[in-house]
Amino acid sequence: MEMESMSLSNAAGIGLRLPHILEVAATRPHVGWLEIHPENFLANPHAAELLCELSEHYPVSFHTVGISIGSASGIDNNHLKRIRNLVQRINPVFVSGHLAWSTFKHEYLNDLLPLPYNAEALQLVEAHLHKVQDNLGRSYLIENPSSYIGFTTSTMSEVEFLSELVRRTGCSLLCDVSNIHVSAQNMGFDAHTYIDDLPSNAISELHLGGYTPEEGLLIDTHAAPISKDAWDLYAYAVRRFGPKPTLIEWDNDIPPLTTLLAEAKHAEHIAVEASLKEVRVVSH
Amino acid sequence: MCLTDIQQHMREAVVTGRAEQIMPFLSAATDVRNRLAIHQRNYESSLVNALLGKFPGTAWLVGTPFLREMARRFVRESPPHAPCIAEYGEAFPNLFAQSPAADHVPYLCAFAQLEWNIGHVAIAVDQPALTIEELSEIDPSLLPQMTLTLQHGLRYMAASWPVDELMKLYLTETAPDHLQMEPSDVSLEIRGSSGEFHFNRLDAADFIFRSTIAAGERIADAAERALGTNPAFDFGQSLISLILSGFVIGESR
Repeated sequence: MEMESMSLSNAAGIGLRLPHILEVAATRPHVGWLEIHPENFLANPHAAELLCELSEHYPVSFHTVGISIGSASGIDNNHLKRIRNLVQRINPVFVSGHLAWSTFKHEYLNDLLPLPYNAEALQLVEAHLHKVQDNLGRSYLIENPSSYIGFTTSTMSEVEFLSELVRRTGCSLLCDVSNIHVSAQNMGFDAHTYIDDLPSNAISELHLGGYTPEEGLLIDTHAAPISKDAWDLYAYAVRRFGPKPTLIEWDNDIPPLTTLLAEAKHAEHIAVEASLKEVRVVSH
Repeated sequence: MCLTDIQQHMREAVVTGRAEQIMPFLSAATDVRNRLAIHQRNYESSLVNALLGKFPGTAWLVGTPFLREMARRFVRESPPHAPCIAEYGEAFPNLFAQSPAADHVPYLCAFAQLEWNIGHVAIAVDQPALTIEELSEIDPSLLPQMTLTLQHGLRYMAASWPVDELMKLYLTETAPDHLQMEPSDVSLEIRGSSGEFHFNRLDAADFIFRSTIAAGERIADAAERALGTNPAFDFGQSLISLILSGFVIGESR
């Protein structure tokens, strides 16, 4: 497959995890693009070498899990430098990360921890976003998190926080549709209204991942197929934002590669159907 | 309360389980503590599973429940210092030396260290090696003061137990039902790249020479230490052997 023949704007991609990398390198399956967590490759030269080969055949996107843009103790400059080196080597189509924090001082907590949504956090994230983009020399997409708890010190909603961040910085957003569904269920807001309120022009990428119901909550495990509720919300998001590069994420209990590829195909099918419905609505 | 304080208290809750200081600042429609526990579980289980994935041989030796309990303790006491989980766990084997299990399985720490080293070298990538011709162009009088850079997929470790034999039994699934381990000093060279690895024993002087070079010390110092172990040590021959093996990727004078 040659990169020139692919249109990233309408394609669905898959999260490439280490258990699949040899198979993808050997079989080169037909899929729009690949997204990786660069942190899995920084300390694994063998995997990084394979990724370098794959990047000659597929568009590759970086989804960082350790930049920790919401850390009050600052951005880890050493980590940022390592990410930059890999960015320069692979030249990904997107680099993204979460509206969350995961490092405190010199500890990495390996989870996407929530932020209060208030002026102090907004100022901090804005400053860190500038720093990250300046260091990487490119745009850094911010993803809405999946939420289980809020803070008494929050003074605005998540969507207000993201919209203000876009207004202040001009950043792009990675809209994780499954996260919206999970957070809406857990935190008691309307998922469709959330999508309606996002700044449509800022959306550059969509994510879909599986979740696990547990004691009345939805846990964003990335360990299951995409649910019907999430597919329906995805169709709504496509009608609202237009078709966008969409990624299937599966990080735990990772299934055979063919399962991921089938989910990506399904995402493309739903996006086409949703786009046609949008056209019909417009033509009335 | 400022963001730094909130994150400090959140860190305490996630890593140690002490949630009393963060609780007043959390909100949710239903049980806040249960929701906070999701983040506590994410932290612990992701890192514990990462450690179990890196030490399958150690789990074979002592059982997964014991290893899981040790991993839980390790992630509480020693959170990662960088977001690359592949780098997390080098100090995990040291925890075994402090545990009561060390009385019953005194080679556990060394076995786990060998397993860590195998995992490390197997993901390395070979760099172009210096040839004997390239090195022969260097003025011989400069050689003793030079330092050499070796392939990243090389590790040296000494142990007081034959953990390499035990590792071979694990890797080949040929362990007998009962095995009597006897203490014996072994000096190991662990080599790997691109998913492959092997390990072999070195004699004491050669081990000292190679491991000292690998530590970035001068050739003269490595030779002197090796000669201290074995006065008949032929460091010239050992140096040539190192180069012919393709282990040397750089030199500095």
